[in-house]
Amino acid sequence: MSVAAAIKARDAAALPGKRDEDWRWTDLRGLIRAVPEPSAAFDGELGPGPFDALAGEVVTIVNGRDAVHITVEPAQSRTVALRIVSRGSGAHAARISIDVEVGGRLILLESYEGDEGGYLSQTGLVFSLGEGASMERIVLAADGAEGVSVSQAEVTLAAGAAFAQTTLTTGARRQRLETTVAHPGGHAELRLDGVYLLSGKRHADLTTVVTHAGVDGVTAQLTKGVVRDQARGVFQGRIVVAEGADRTDARMGHHALILSDRAEVDARPELLIHADDVSCAHGNTVGALDEDALFYARQRGIPEAEARALLTEAFVGEVADRIAHEAARDVVRAWAAERLRG
Amino acid sequence: MAAVKQTVEHVASLEKYKHGFVTEIEQDFAPKGLSEDTVRFISAKKDEPAWMLQWRLEAYERWLAMEEPTWAKVSFPRIDYQDSYYYAAPKTKEGPKSLDEVDPDILETYKKLGIPLREQEVLAGVVGSPKYAVDAVFDSVSVVTTFKKELAQAGVIFCSMSEAIREHPELVKQYLGSVVPVSDNYFACLNAAVFSDGSFVYVPPGVRCPMELSTYFRINAENSGQFERTLIIADKGAYVSYLEGCTAPMRDENQLHAAVVELVALDDAEIKYSTVQNWYPGDPETGKGGIYNFVTKRADCRGDRSKVSWTQVETGSAITWKYPSCVLRGEGSSGEFYSIAITNGRQQADTGTKMIHLGANTRSRIISKGISAGKSSNTYRGLVSAHPKAKGARNFTQCDSLLIGKHCAAHTVPYIEARNGQAVFEHEATTTRLSEDQLFYARQRGLSQEEAVQLLVNGFVKDVLQELPMEFAVEAQKLVAISLEGSVG
Repeated sequence: MSVAAAIKARDAAALPGKRDEDWRWTDLRGLIRAVPEPSAAFDGELGPGPFDALAGEVVTIVNGRDAVHITVEPAQSRTVALRIVSRGSGAHAARISIDVEVGGRLILLESYEGDEGGYLSQTGLVFSLGEGASMERIVLAADGAEGVSVSQAEVTLAAGAAFAQTTLTTGARRQRLETTVAHPGGHAELRLDGVYLLSGKRHADLTTVVTHAGVDGVTAQLTKGVVRDQARGVFQGRIVVAEGADRTDARMGHHALILSDRAEVDARPELLIHADDVSCAHGNTVGALDEDALFYARQRGIPEAEARALLTEAFVGEVADRIAHEAARDVVRAWAAERLRG
Repeated sequence: MAAVKQTVEHVASLEKYKHGFVTEIEQDFAPKGLSEDTVRFISAKKDEPAWMLQWRLEAYERWLAMEEPTWAKVSFPRIDYQDSYYYAAPKTKEGPKSLDEVDPDILETYKKLGIPLREQEVLAGVVGSPKYAVDAVFDSVSVVTTFKKELAQAGVIFCSMSEAIREHPELVKQYLGSVVPVSDNYFACLNAAVFSDGSFVYVPPGVRCPMELSTYFRINAENSGQFERTLIIADKGAYVSYLEGCTAPMRDENQLHAAVVELVALDDAEIKYSTVQNWYPGDPETGKGGIYNFVTKRADCRGDRSKVSWTQVETGSAITWKYPSCVLRGEGSSGEFYSIAITNGRQQADTGTKMIHLGANTRSRIISKGISAGKSSNTYRGLVSAHPKAKGARNFTQCDSLLIGKHCAAHTVPYIEARNGQAVFEHEATTTRLSEDQLFYARQRGLSQEEAVQLLVNGFVKDVLQELPMEFAVEAQKLVAISLEGSVG
C-alpha cells in the first residue's frame, strides 16, 4: 500500500518499513505507531515563501487541502511557485498534477514548509512532459524537526523533452523525497540533482528511479550531502536500462561529507542494465573534509571555522552551479550558505 | 510455507520409526527426503560424537522454522527439499565406463585446458578411475605422503571435516559455526544440519604453511561436494593459501549445492582463499539441468592486523548466489575481494561481497569484474559498512560490467553504510560493452573476431587474474576464453 493510502485508511501497519527493501533506511512503520488524526484546516498567517519574488504565480497548499492541476499550454512559458505547507500535528496528503504540453516551458519553484508540529505529510506529484517540452524543478525542503514528510513525484517524458531537477533539503524527523522518471530515450534529457544538509537528529532520504525505455536517452545525476551531529542521510539511485534502449548514457554521482562521529550516510547507487550498447557509470564517496585542503586554507591565514565553511560550501556549490535558472540559483546558494554556516 | 509444512508433516509421520534408520548403518545412502532421521542417519554414518549430532539436530530444528529467501535477482523453480538425497549422493546411477561415453563437449573443454588423459577420467567420473585426483595428477601416492609429512612437520592440520570432528574436537567445537552461525541464513542452516564433509585447516601460531593447500589434494574428496563445510583457522601470525575447485568441468549429479566456508584469522594472520568454479551451467538454450550454487562464505578477521583475501573466478553453475564476506573485527585488519563472474547462455549469477568494518583503521578493497553474454544475467551485490567504532576505516570498490550481446543483463547493486565521520569509502562502477575501436584495432592487426574478443576480455579481467596463484591464473585465463565461446557472432 502506498503512503497516501495508509494515511487515508489511517492504517499505520500499511506504512512502508525496513522490511521493504526500498525503504530499509527510511523506516516509517517502525516510527509511527498510529496515523495521526487528519490535519485541520489552517487559516492563520503563512508568511512569505522562498520563491515569491521570482514566480509569476504562487500556488499554496496547506495541510493537503485542494488537489491542484496545472497545464502549460503548447509553446507557453510559465514560472510557478508551489508552496506545500504543513502546520500542526495531523496527517494529510496532497495531490498535484502538471502537464507541460508540446514545446511548453515551465520553471517550478517548489518549497516544503513545516512548523514544529509532529505532522505526517504525503505529497504526490505527477508531471507529464510533451514532445519538446522542458521543465526545471527546484525544490527547497524545509520541514520541521518533528515532522514526517514524504514527497513522491512521477515524471513521464515524451521524446525530445527535457526535465531538470535540483532538490535541496534539511531533512525532518523522517523525510523521503522520491522521484520516479519514465525516460523514453529519443534524445530526451534528464538531470536529477540533490543536496542534503542535515544536523541534529534529522533524517533525509533522496531516492530516484529512472527507467530508460528507448534509444539515445541521456541521464545525469549528482547528489551531495553534508551530515553532522546524529543526522542520517540516505541516497538511493536506481537507473534501469530496458532491453533495446541502446546508446543510453547515464551517469550518477553521490558524494557525502560526514562531519561528526555519530552521523550516518547510507547509499545504494544501482545500475540495472538489459541492453549492451550503453555507457553507464556511478561513483560514490563518503568521508570527512579533506585535511590537506583544510591545512592549505589555514596556512593561508583563514581561521579553521571559516575554512571548513568555505570548503563545505564549495563542495555543495557544484550542485547549485548546475541550476539553469539564474535567479533561482542565487536563492538556492543563499539558502544553502545560511544553513551551512548556521 | 508449503515445503516446511510438508517437512513437518513428514517428520510427524516418521515419529513411529524414530529408531528405525539409526541402526541401519549398513545402508549406503540416506533415504530420499529430509527429516530428523536423515540428520541422525548422516551423523551415525559418519560416526560422529553426540555433541555433533546435537548440533545438527538443533540446526535442523531451526531450519524448519525458516523461510527460503527470494531477494536475489535469480529465478528458478521451487526446490523440493523432500525430493533429494542428503547423504552419499545416489550411487544407483553408474558413471561412464570409459572416456568414449563422456559428453564430447566436455572432452573438448578438457583438451583446451590441457588436462592429462588420466586426470580427465577422474574428473569425468569414469568407473574404475583412481579415487584421488592427486594420483592422477602426479601419478604417485608418494606425493600424498610427502605433502602430508611436510605439513605435519610444520604442525599444520589439514584433513577432512569428519576426521577433524573425531581427531580435533576441541578446535572444531571452538570454531565451527562461530563465523557463520547455524541460523545465519536458510541455506547455511540447511548445510549445518546435513553437511556431508569438507576441509579443515588449522595453521598454528607463527607458521607459514609451506604449500598451497587445495581440495585437489585432499583425501576423501569424493562425494563431499553437495553440502560442503570448510573451516580454516590461521592462528596468530600464521599464513595459509587455500585453493578451492578446479578449472575443469566436474561431473556432478547433485543439483543443489549449499556449502558453508568459514575462515578465522587471529592476530597478524593471513588467509588467502582462491576459488575457481566451473560446474555444469545447464543447457545453453533452456538452462536445464545446471547446478544451483548457493554458498555462504565468510571470514572473521578476529585478530588485530589480520588479513583475508578472497579471489574467485565464477564461470559455471546455472545459478550462482554467493557473497564471500569479511568481518573486520580486529584493529587494523584488512579484507580483499577480487572477483570475475562470467555468465553465458541462460546462466544467472548474483554475487558480490560484504565488508563489515567493526574495528578501528580497518581497510578493504573490492575489485569485481562481471561479464555477461548470451541470455544470461549477472548481478554484483555488495555491502560496505562502517560501525561507529570503526574510526579510520577505508574502502575502495570498483565494479565493472561488460556486456556481450543484446539479450544479456548486468546489474550493480552496492549498499554503503557509513556510521562514523572518520571512515572513507569510495565506490565506482561502470557498465559498457566491448569497445568497437579496440575490436577494430585488434582485427586490423590480423586477429580473428574471437581472438580479439578474448584479448580484450583478458585485459578487462587482468586485475583479478593477477591475484590468483600462478598455476591457477594460467588455467583461469583459458577458462575465461572458453566460457565465452559462441557468444561472439
